[in-house]
Order: sequence, then C-alpha cells, then structure tokens
Amino acid sequence: MSAAVSASSHRFSEARLAEIAELVKRYPGVQSALMPVLYMAQEDFGYLSMDVQQHVADVLGLRLMQVREVVTFYTMFREKPCGTFLLEVCTNAGCMLNGANELVAHMCQSLGIKVGQTTPDGMFTVTEVECAGACGGAPVVQVNNVYHEKVTPESMDALITHMRASGGAK
Amino acid sequence: MTSLFINDQEVEVTPGTSILEACRQNDHDVPYFCYHPELSVAANCRMCLVEVEGWPKPAASCCTPVSEGMKVKTQTASLKKDRKMIMEYLLIHHPLDCPVCDQGGGCKLQDYALEHGASKGRYAEPKRAVVNYELGPFVNTCMTRCIHCTRCVRFADEVAGTGDIGVLNRSDHMSIAGIVEEALESELSGNLPDICPVGALLDKPSHDVSRPWEMSHHKSTCTLCPNGCDIHIESRGDEVMRIRPIAGSPEPWICDRGRYVYDAFRSDARILEPALRRDGELQTVGWDEAFDHAVSLLKGKRVGILFSPDWSVEGHTAIRMMRDTLFPDAKVAFDLHRRDMRPFAFEEGLSMTTAQIEAADQVVVLGSDLRQRLPLLMQRLRKRGHAGKPVSRIGAMNYRTNMNISSDAIIRPRDWPAVIARAMEQVRDLGKTAAGFDAWLAAVPARHEAGKILADALIADSCALLVGEEIRSDIDAAALIFGLDLLMRACGHAEAGSDGRNLIPEGMNAQMLSSIFADVRVSAGELFAAASAGELDAIVVVGSDPLGDGLFPTAAAAALDKVPLIQIGSIAGRIGERAEVQLPAAAGSEIEGTFVNMEGRIRVATNPIRSLGQERPLWKVMMRLVQVMGGEVPVVSLDELRAAIVVRVPSLAGAWSATEQDKLLLAPARNRTSTYTPVQQKHAFDLDVVSRYSMYREGMWARASKLLSEAAMLHCLDDLLVHPDTLAEAGLKPGEMIVHSFLGKATCQVGVRDDVSPGVLFVSRRGIAGALSDTDTASLTGGQS
Amino acid sequence: MIPSDPKQVKQICFDRINIPDVNTLAVAREHGAYEFLPTVLKTFEPAKIVDEMKASGLRGRGGAGFPTGLKWSFVPRNTGKPTYLLCNADEGEPGTFKDRDIMRFDPHLLIEGMIMAGFALNVHDAYIYIRGEFLHEASVMNEAIREAYAANLLGENILGSNYSMHLTVHRGAGAYICGEETALIESLEGKPGRPRFKPPFPAVEGFYRCPTVVNNVETLATVPAILKHGGAWHAAIGVPNNTGCKIFSVSGHVNKPGNYEVPMGTSLRMLIEDYCGGLQHGSVPKVIIPGGSSTPWLTAEHYDTPLTYDGMTKAGSMLGSGAIIVMDETADVVAVTRRLAHFYAHESCGQCTPCREGTGWLERIMIRVEDGQGCDEDLHVLKEASTHMAGRTICALADGAAAPILSMLKHFPEEVRARALGKAA
Repeated sequence: MSAAVSASSHRFSEARLAEIAELVKRYPGVQSALMPVLYMAQEDFGYLSMDVQQHVADVLGLRLMQVREVVTFYTMFREKPCGTFLLEVCTNAGCMLNGANELVAHMCQSLGIKVGQTTPDGMFTVTEVECAGACGGAPVVQVNNVYHEKVTPESMDALITHMRASGGAK
Repeated sequence: MTSLFINDQEVEVTPGTSILEACRQNDHDVPYFCYHPELSVAANCRMCLVEVEGWPKPAASCCTPVSEGMKVKTQTASLKKDRKMIMEYLLIHHPLDCPVCDQGGGCKLQDYALEHGASKGRYAEPKRAVVNYELGPFVNTCMTRCIHCTRCVRFADEVAGTGDIGVLNRSDHMSIAGIVEEALESELSGNLPDICPVGALLDKPSHDVSRPWEMSHHKSTCTLCPNGCDIHIESRGDEVMRIRPIAGSPEPWICDRGRYVYDAFRSDARILEPALRRDGELQTVGWDEAFDHAVSLLKGKRVGILFSPDWSVEGHTAIRMMRDTLFPDAKVAFDLHRRDMRPFAFEEGLSMTTAQIEAADQVVVLGSDLRQRLPLLMQRLRKRGHAGKPVSRIGAMNYRTNMNISSDAIIRPRDWPAVIARAMEQVRDLGKTAAGFDAWLAAVPARHEAGKILADALIADSCALLVGEEIRSDIDAAALIFGLDLLMRACGHAEAGSDGRNLIPEGMNAQMLSSIFADVRVSAGELFAAASAGELDAIVVVGSDPLGDGLFPTAAAAALDKVPLIQIGSIAGRIGERAEVQLPAAAGSEIEGTFVNMEGRIRVATNPIRSLGQERPLWKVMMRLVQVMGGEVPVVSLDELRAAIVVRVPSLAGAWSATEQDKLLLAPARNRTSTYTPVQQKHAFDLDVVSRYSMYREGMWARASKLLSEAAMLHCLDDLLVHPDTLAEAGLKPGEMIVHSFLGKATCQVGVRDDVSPGVLFVSRRGIAGALSDTDTASLTGGQS
Repeated sequence: MIPSDPKQVKQICFDRINIPDVNTLAVAREHGAYEFLPTVLKTFEPAKIVDEMKASGLRGRGGAGFPTGLKWSFVPRNTGKPTYLLCNADEGEPGTFKDRDIMRFDPHLLIEGMIMAGFALNVHDAYIYIRGEFLHEASVMNEAIREAYAANLLGENILGSNYSMHLTVHRGAGAYICGEETALIESLEGKPGRPRFKPPFPAVEGFYRCPTVVNNVETLATVPAILKHGGAWHAAIGVPNNTGCKIFSVSGHVNKPGNYEVPMGTSLRMLIEDYCGGLQHGSVPKVIIPGGSSTPWLTAEHYDTPLTYDGMTKAGSMLGSGAIIVMDETADVVAVTRRLAHFYAHESCGQCTPCREGTGWLERIMIRVEDGQGCDEDLHVLKEASTHMAGRTICALADGAAAPILSMLKHFPEEVRARALGKAA
C-alpha cells in the first residue's frame, strides 16, 4: 500500500473497514471487491474524488490505475457531485415509444435546467440513462436508484413537489 | 506439429500457435497493430482478420490457435474490403498530421493506410481530441494520434511492471492514460515509443530532430552492463541519433541506460584529440608529441595499469600484449568493485543463459539491485512472476523491483556467513551435504534465519543462484562464494547441464578477463596503495574512472597525488582532470570488435560508425605505444591480433565465423583447488556500508550523457539512508549527523527508510557522499563534527 | 407440444409469481420451494443432473440460446481448480425486464436453481452478477440469501448433505456490455467489463482463469422444475429443439406491456393480441423487434411467426432474450434507430476498432439523417459501416449495433431517404 497518501477527511470508518475485510473474503481475489467498495465510498463520501479513489486503492492494496479504470468505465460511479435527488430518465426505445423524451423536456422545463445539470439549490440533477430494464413500466424514472414506472409529466410534477417538501431528507 | 494450409500452402507449426504466428513464420503477410510477439494478446485492432474455410465469420488470427487441416486464406476480396474499412474506422479520429509527426516514415498506420486503406475518408463529423499525459523524461505523448492498441498498457503491466498506464472510459471516449500526478517510473520506458505503432508515444530526446529514412543502421553491442544487448546504433552522417533494440535478438527490449547514453557520443567529455597538460591545462597536440611525452613518463618506470572491462576482447588482449612487452612486472587491475582478488570457487559470469534463469524452478537473488544493475534480467524475472514462478531475495535493502518477490529478507552484509551456515544446516538435515561443510560451519559461530529462504529454494530440482555485488565486493568474498559453492554442490546444482552458480560480473567480457589476466591481476585498491606507497612511478588508465566509480575513489585520489597519469580512452571523466597525457581511443561502437556478455555469448561488431575525431581503435593505440617505447610490435593487423587471441583462449576459435559464432557460449572460470573458510572479521564500526548503483549515473559514459544525468535527478534518494530502528537504537533523529569511518569524520544528512536493513548505512549517491565509498563499515553520532 | 390454449400450460418460472410475500422463505416453502432439494442433494448423481438437463432441451434464456446441459458438460472435472457458477442478472438488453421479476418476486426460485446447478457442477462459490440499477432487486435477493443461509439452504453442508455452496450478490455499475459472459467475468474480477476473446471459453478458463459456468437468471430458475419433473417432461413442452416455456417481455406500443411466460411455439400474433391487449394504434405492427434491440427487425409479414429460436431464425431475426419491442403505425423508425445508435455508441466497451469507432460514427450520421441533414452517400456509408462491424469484433455488441440500422434501411428505404434529405412530411 502506498504511503504517499495526502491528508484528507475521506477515510472509511472502522466499521466500514471491518465490513470490507469481510467482503474481501467472499472472492477468490481482492480486486473483485473493488466495485462494492467503490459503492461504499460513493455512499460515504458522495462521489469518487481522486482522493477517495486513492484511499480505495490503498485500502484494497490495488494500484490507483486499477481503480481509475473501473471508475471511468462504469456510468454509475460518479467523479463529480450531483444533486440530492438524482433523477435518471430512461430514454431508450421502450420508454421513448411511450413518451420519455416529452417527459424529460417537461422535467427540464419545470426545474429550469438542462439534461446533465443540477438545480442551483443543489436539490435535483436530471440525466438521461440507458435502458433501465423495466420497459413494461415505460417510461421509467429512477430517483436515487428507486424505480418509478409509467411516469407522466403530472405524476413527475407531484413527485418533485413531494421531494422538494421533504427538504432533501432522503 | 500441426499442419495447416495458408493460402493453399501446407505448413507445419507447433500446436497451439496462433494463425498469425503461423503466417509470420511462413512469410504470409497479415497486417496487425495490437499484436506484439513479446506481449500478451489483446485482439482488439481487428486488422489481422483472416478467413478460415467453413467458418461463418472472419477470425482474428492473433488470438485463434491453429488446428489440424485448417484452411486459412489471408488475401480474399472480402478481407481486403474488411481491412479497408478497419483503416477507415481507425482514421476517423486520427489527425492527418503525418508531415509534422516524428513517426512518419516508420509508422504502421501510415504504411497500412497506403497498402490497405482508401485514398479518401468519408467521415464528415467532428474529430476527437485527447489530453496528453506525463510519461517521464524520455517519452512524449500525443494521444490524439492513439489508435488504442493497448500495447503500451500491456508493456507497462507485463514488462515494466509498473502498471501505471491504463485504459480510461469506454466507447469512442476511451483513452489511454497515465496517472496524472506521477510520471512513469521505469528503467525500460524508452521501449514505449518503439512499440507504439503510431505517433502517440514518441521519443522525447529525439523529438523533431530526425526522420527514420535519414538513418543508417549499425549493428552493435551495448557495453553499459554485462548483459551486452544487441543494438542498432542509428546515425545520420557521423552523428549518433538513436540507439534501438534489434528484433529477434535474445532481448527484445533495451534499457534506458543503454538507449539514452547516445548523446554521450558527441558530448564535451569525449577525448577526440591527443592532449598534453601544460601549465595545468590540457592542450591539444599531435599524436607524435603526445606519445613522446608518454614515453618520457613511462620509459624505464614502474607502471601500474588500470582499465575498464567494457573494451573489446581485441582491446583487452592488446593491453596484455603491451604490458608483457613493455612492463613485464606491472600490476594490472580492471575491477573497481572487487576487494578480494583470490580466485573464487565460481568466477564472474553466468553458467546459465538468461532464458534458462527465467525457466528455472527457483531463482534466488543474493545481494543485488538487479533492476538497476541488469534491467533486462530483472524483466525476465518479472515475466517469471507473471507466470506464477517464485523469485526469492536476500540483501541489504528491499530494492524496488516492480514485481512481487515471493520470499524476501533484509540482512547486514556481515551476516552473510551466518545466512549461508543456516542454509547449510538445513540442507544437511535433509541429507544433502558436501565435503567441506563441517570445516565451513565450524568457522562460523552465528546462524541467521534468512538462510531458510536460500535453503528452501535450493531444494528445488533446478535453482538459479544469482550472486550480486554485495557478496562480490565483500572483503572475504572468496570464502562466501566457496560456502555457496558447497551448498550448490550439496544440492546438485553444480553439475554440467544443471549448473545454477551465477556470479554477476561488474562489466562485459568477464570470462575473457579472468582468463587473459588471471596471473597478473590485482585489486584496484592494491594498485592505488602501491602508488601511494611509492612503489609505482606512473599509472596508465585505459577507459576507467576510479574517481567517479567504484569502491576506491579516495585511494585513487591519493595515488594520483603521487604519480603521473597517462589516460587512454574515449571519455575524459573525472579522472581526466588529473591526466598528464590523453590519448584518444575509439569507443566500442566505432570499431570492429568482439564482445562477450555475462552469459558467455559472443558478439562481433562489423559495421562501426565513423569516428568523430582522431581516435583510433584501442589495439592500435596500444601497438603504437609499444612501438614508440622501442618495443617489438607483437601484431600489426586485426587478423594477427585475433590469431593471437585464439592462442590465449582456444575456445574463441569460432568467434569470427558467422556460422560458428552463435554456437559459442564461454563458461565462467571454476576454481576447485583452494578452500576458504570465513575469517572472523573485526569490524571497526557498527554499521555496514552498502552503496547504491544507479543506472543513470554509474560509469563514465552515463555521466557524460546529459539525458541520463537529467534522469538521475528524478531517481535520487536521500544521500544516506538507515533503517528507523538503527537511529532509534543510537538515540538519533533523521537529519544532520556525523559519520565516522576509517577515513575520519564527516557531517552528512541521514534519512530513514524501512526497506534498508537495520545495521546498514546505505549510500544512495556514491561519489556525492564522497569518501564513504571506500569504506565498508561506519558509525553515526549526533551533533556537529 | 403446444396446446391450443397455451394458457393451460403450467408456468415454470412464474409459477409462484403472484403469491403475496413469496419472496420470504416461509411463504416460498409453503408453495414448494426447496421441497425437492434434499432429494437432489442426497440421491442425484451430478453427472445424471447434467444428462437430465441435456434431455430437457433447455436452451439458455439469456439470448444466445445455447443448450444448457451441453454447456454444463463442457466443464472439465478434476482440474485441481475450483469451478464457479455465475448467474447473469445483468439484464440490460433494451426491451428485456424478465429476470427482474423473478428476482424481486420469487428470489428463492433462483437460489434453489443455483444450488442444484452448483451441486451438478461441483461448485462451492457462486455469484449473482446483478445490474447496478437493480438496487431493490439486489436487496430482495440479499434478504432471501440471508434467510437461506439461516435455514442451512446455503453455506456448509447444505441440509445435512456433504455439499457446501456460498452465494454472493455482486452489483454491476452501469455497463450493458457486462451482460456478455466474459465481460461479466472481467467485471466480477474488479476490472472494466471488456469481453475476452475465445478460446479459451469460460467453461475451461473463466473467473480467475478457473472453469466457470455463466447462466441467465431464467435459465437457472428453470432448473428446479426440470429436476423435479424430469428432462422428458420439459422436453414435451413447446416444440422440438425449442422446448419449455419462455418469458417474453413485451413493451412499446401495446396496451398491456409486461412479462408473459408462454410455451415456446406460441405465435407472435397470439402473444401480442391475446396477452398484451393488442396494439395501441392500428391492427398490424409497423416493426417488431423480437429478441431485444440487438436483433433484426420483423414487420407485419412476420406477425404469425412462432416464438421459437428456429422460427425467428427462419424469419431472419433471433429470439434473443425474448424482449419484444412493438412499434405501431405511429412509430418514428428513424428516431428509434437514432436512439438505439446512441445506445450502442454509449455502451461500446471501446476495445475493438470497428465497434469503438463505428458505433460513434453511425450515431453521428443518424443524427444528421434524423434532422434531415443527410445525403444519399450517408445511407450508403450507414450500410457499409454497419456491415463491416458485424462479426468482426470480439463480442456481438457490434452485431447488435448494426442490426437496427440495417433493418431500418432494409424495411423502410423510402421513408429513411425522404427523412435524410429533409423531404419528410
């Protein structure tokens, strides 16, 4: 493990480290634990800054490049912060045929942002994603990874109002 | 063998061979980018598609093994169309900047575009631009040109062992990148531009300097380490522009030391004209005047001769002839790193080829920083690591290797007898013993646990023992090597055919030197001591720099205060400041000459580059010296000289026959007559001094190279290092302190590192830490001197 | 054979799907979960299980349709290395959403199938690689696994037998390509999911270079029924060479989109009209993508094609994962194709030249075509660039990327040309 880690507050808690130690045992090789540990890091630290990636590398005894390759390959790992509510709209074929594009346009208009942007209050980020695997409920919107199916502009508005009222308490 | 048909021609190849290799071996042209015979297969460029009869789709030939009776076609209309399309895909985002790209003229993409591509691309959308990254002092990146073949990624992982180049992102945003914050740290980085099939990775020092078609190629041998790699020196006119490895030679790569030394050829440090010291300044003179002055310093005098192992065999033989004719009593030294000149049970040189070492069941490295000393052998050990084969190591420091060492121990050099004794006891308990064990064991009271690593490895069916500089330079080296020899005999690793005893030599031609000079050699320290004691009147130094290299700089300086120096060589070096006379001798690449590497392989250079000045082949300078001194000139032509060499070393008879040369493998000398047991050393100081060898600053040629000197700055450690426990025991904190040795006291900065053995003072910059190089023990105290 | 009313056939994977709380072990057991497992562990020979699987005629439900028993028989025994069983739950093919329902509603069916498969293959460590987005499904699976461990259905000496197996859920993180089995293996090893070239096949050198079987969720969920009722029972359902039931995920312009498990051989028309409530507009579909977005399109003329591997091949397409995307007369085929081109460009792993560069190129041309900024040369390039991607790469993603474009050009040349040249209505 590299000793050259810069000082930072991004450190796993002792409980997390114990959890990681257990996790590693489930796989024939330690690198298999990388993706689950990146999820933990994202949960604990919000997003995967270079600092966090170095920490993950150190904790697992991997090279930073091995972590970088994985973080940049998979879309669900974020290197930048996003809003409290991440709204991911599937616009692939099944959802598109059932009004996903119109839904995205409506959401962007309601929130006053473009796709990929976060509202100035840091509350909402809207992105388009690939097929969510729930085409029977098209169009599908994931809110912080919770699926909402057969979403209409009206039901989306109600959901946004509800989320805003909850004040970011997820 | 598997037989198959390639374009209707029946061929036979080893089972498991890929179709692409089968095509290459049988001269069927199949284009490819990502494939490289020395790297793992990636199969990503898709340029090497071929058709196999009965298969629905074209197959990537690089990753498809041959099968019996397979019918392969490499030139169908459909494949031509495929290749044309693949070229079009590749060129979609490739900038068409060939006129300003260094790769132009030596570029696979350019060549294949001409051969397989369309004259015009149809891509009309915006092109991709890619961020460059830092790859160290020798490699430029221009990543927009990258075609994502991943050769560099595989090289960094599999060969360099750093793994610091990776593939980021995916889709057409995919990019090859390094870690932004860290430059690539590899002693093999110069190979990256070679393996890059396009102009994405380029040689930094030769950037914007030359074009491939301007170069003439000179096959030569690198003499910067005993591995003696085959090289192509590429020159434009008489100017050396590049040094590159030769495909198909035993080592497909060369190290940065051997590659970037090229700028030393035209450095100010070269000795290109004869010169004399007048009024304290060296002044250029004619040959006759210089020789006259040399004669005045040497005629009738007691002379000591020091030379470098890196000259050709012809040069060395001529030195011996000169000595025998003019100074039959002269002491001769050539190794600046050996204190004990008693004949070793197994003398310098390898008894195995590096390929055999790579394949052995076990490899044990004793006291060597192989990555700095022998980067190409290190690379082979790394390949072992990838194949899951063990490499064990014992030494004064956990030298960085970029691989996983399977068993590792750090020890003080004074513990070597205890390590060997511990190993002897372990193998004896298993019933393996040799006559001499008891006497040897009786002479060593202590046992050191690290011996278990050695014994565990020795028990294997085949074991390569690599004995390095920490043992070779020991004051009692003959006894240590005798002990190791006993161990190897006991375990059956000393018989012809399975001889695993390898003593890593300091330089080239070790097997030759130990036979040509066996009867007259002394240690360099002895030579300097004789001069200091008034036993010599002059010293002739031939291409060696005892003030800059080796274990005797203080002794050398003291000797040169007493007696005049006649310098013969290609590079002035630090010792040049002390020369009374300088005679230019041509460098290895500027002559026809014969070289022997540590494996005993013979290489003959036949196509030298042109000399820059007045320098002449060393053998001619030597013969001329004999002549002007009034001696009888022993040989007057290269043929006569070679005939004389064969008289001295009959096994070299075939060296100059193209067909015989490759069959020759000179064995290192063995001495079975003398028995040595370790002497109880009385150590004057409590710490063992070990000095680091840096490939970027060791040797006159490296120091004459600006490129290597600049790289050395990136690779330096603190001047002096100790283990934290060593300081704690002495109640000291890192920083300035006094170093005591037999040379007196000196104030130095001392840092800590836990990969240095406790009880060792590690001198990481030899020469810079000056006088300490001469010592083998020292101690530390606090405060100011 | 297929009965005249396919609805009479007992469902296999969806047998318990509508039972409330069947995701809990107690309810699942009340309805037969793990009932037959002790018999298998105590009386079945592993080799016999493989034979039974072969006899069942079951073909892999993930998309390629390779016979499962045959795949299992390729695993070398006594290599000295462990064998691994990986469940492919990376359901990402646009149009596919069947495995999600098995996992979230009846997780114990999958677990039981994996134990049986693991027993047959002498596996002691098995993994479910589930797509990252299925967070809920992963937590349902994890809870079911926790219960199974507590009941000694997983872990050491399962139900007192000599057989031990550990099961771990491993989440992907948003990469379609990880549904390809060798990319899945790479991903499970903690690397980017870039497919490996074959040979070696995973059965010989897979996860950590050890023998590995990768099976789809639906495939594994079918195993308990086959072992309980026998291979011959399964082989009698459906039509020869296309046996058993299959879940079809129907989406797009149908009135009742969803998952329907029907016997193989049921016709496309019957599925859409009898089960899915017909089309939203009109009476015949404009386009049917029968096996997920990577399969060639069918049109109204193929409305009566039987839902079998062989039937779809004969019609010029593939059954794939059984993901049927239906487009009625209102569909904008150019916009859909452009969107799919974006999908493949976004999901290409980037390693093979034709796919890395070709998918992006195709998308950029499609954007111009959709916007009416194209030309005839564009249509020619679309066809040529697609044709020379397919079958020239390590995995089949490039084939999938080519399929929609080639289908669009084949079936709607006039519409596409008019659109490209800006002459569309």
